[in-house]
Amino acid sequence: MRVTRRRGHARIRLESVEAGLLANLFDDLDGALQTLPDDDPVRQRLFPAGYRTDEEAAAEFRSLTEDSLRESKAVRLGECRAELPSGDGEVDLDDEAVQRWLTVLNDLRLAIGTRLSVSEDDDPDIDPSDPDAQLRAIYQWLTALQDSLVQAVIDH
Amino acid sequence: MPGTLSPPLKTAGKTLPAEDVATSVSPDRPWITIVWNDPINLMSYVTHVFMTVFGYPKPKAEKLMLDVHHRGRAVVSSGTRERMELDVNVLHGYGLWATLQQQD
Repeated sequence: MRVTRRRGHARIRLESVEAGLLANLFDDLDGALQTLPDDDPVRQRLFPAGYRTDEEAAAEFRSLTEDSLRESKAVRLGECRAELPSGDGEVDLDDEAVQRWLTVLNDLRLAIGTRLSVSEDDDPDIDPSDPDAQLRAIYQWLTALQDSLVQAVIDH
Repeated sequence: MPGTLSPPLKTAGKTLPAEDVATSVSPDRPWITIVWNDPINLMSYVTHVFMTVFGYPKPKAEKLMLDVHHRGRAVVSSGTRERMELDVNVLHGYGLWATLQQQD
């Protein structure tokens, strides 16, 4: 994975295995958006309460916003999914597409990071005997990809 | 919308009607949008979102991001309740943990 910027566009270079991984992650998240129960921590993180203490206002806010929020997340996911190369290849992104990719990668990190209960104190070295070692490696890779993409656009 | 990039959400027409405002609400205190710290959102990404959503220059966006990171929360905007609901909705679209409340 490599992110570059040229002539106003950001470019993500992906190897075949990375493109395939992202395709699977996008599909998993798309399914999760539609099926996760209300009390699932991932769902609660992707659709947080708008009011911290006023439960009645929070419920009303949710009723007015959650469906469209879910819909926009799903649409963005589908658009990014469609832009993935089928093998080794590049994704060429204008500013609007970068914005979309950043939010989709963020949704993925929110979902996986919540599932892993990540904390700011986590050891960056993954314990190979950890049953979640593979998912942690994927999370770290997504983090690197998202950060590279932010760095490619934040000063432009 | 002061940002130069389109927000990912269409939020027009999604504010609460005025009659839903609780009777205990004091009209002279402004409403605020708060972003809370979380262990997942990247510092660079949060800065970028503040620049994009609010049109804040990078130094101001970074200061707010550092407030979130070190103090656990930061007030990122203030105004009417309806305006803050829009802001919270947009920030949720970007995956930030945002809430609104009336200023203490």
